[in-house]
Amino acid sequence: MFECKDVAEEASNYLDGDLPLGKRVGLFLHLVYCSCCRRYLQQLRQTITTVVVLRPQEQHQTDTQALAEKLRAISKTES
Amino acid sequence: MEKVAKHEQLDEKALIAKLIEGDAAAFDYVVGRYHSIMLSVARAIIGEAFADEVVQEAWVSAIKALPRFEGRASLKTWLLQITSNGAKTRLRRESRQLSLDDGWQAEPDEKFDKRGHRIDDVLPWNMETPDALLENDQLRQVIENTFQKLPPHQRAVLTMADIEGLEMTEICNILDISSSNARVLLHRARTTLHHSIEKYQES
Repeated sequence: MFECKDVAEEASNYLDGDLPLGKRVGLFLHLVYCSCCRRYLQQLRQTITTVVVLRPQEQHQTDTQALAEKLRAISKTES
Repeated sequence: MEKVAKHEQLDEKALIAKLIEGDAAAFDYVVGRYHSIMLSVARAIIGEAFADEVVQEAWVSAIKALPRFEGRASLKTWLLQITSNGAKTRLRRESRQLSLDDGWQAEPDEKFDKRGHRIDDVLPWNMETPDALLENDQLRQVIENTFQKLPPHQRAVLTMADIEGLEMTEICNILDISSSNARVLLHRARTTLHHSIEKYQES
């Protein structure tokens, strides 16, 4: 039997379609009667979509324009 | 989840040709587009101290090797693989071992009773779409801060899988981790971000 705790652990695999058939069915049946887990999965899906829209990036101090110029200079000497 | 950024591959041949010609705008574009994600991979493999240097070296190697780029993988995957190889070599040289165990706990046990049922309701959010969530500047900052505080491995897997749309097999190759490890890291990252939004909504 799938319980809320199992849903919390397998939620990403379920959303990504990576759950084996038996577990997928078990989780789906749990969702039929558990509105909490339905809401949890919907929120997790929304979290992922929100991060995709936000596109957070690594923080760094690199001057990317200067790096691009340095690389261009290297590529000239190579060719 | 839907994979993103596939369209980038279409223009890649033209982009690479421009790089080989020495086009300044093409160099600006690739460095701006890929530096951050290369850094993410390097930080995950070797840690903060050497990551910057590893990425700089990876860029130089990649630019030198560019005329021999065969396009079997996307430019992004190729750059990440070069970064990964450099980071792993450096890791061996530094003989450091980084642990994947970042002390994370699955949904805290106190959220469930002995039979694994949730004790409290999952409360509905008052913002239903990503755009609505991101319109709130404070919440946007909360998500951004939570992302920055994720352990480097989780950040790298989340970036590659969800934001950049790489396949799981590519991610496993780049970070040299098993598929089950990658999935656990991805789930932890997503769960932590979900918690941060949930906490904000409740406050």
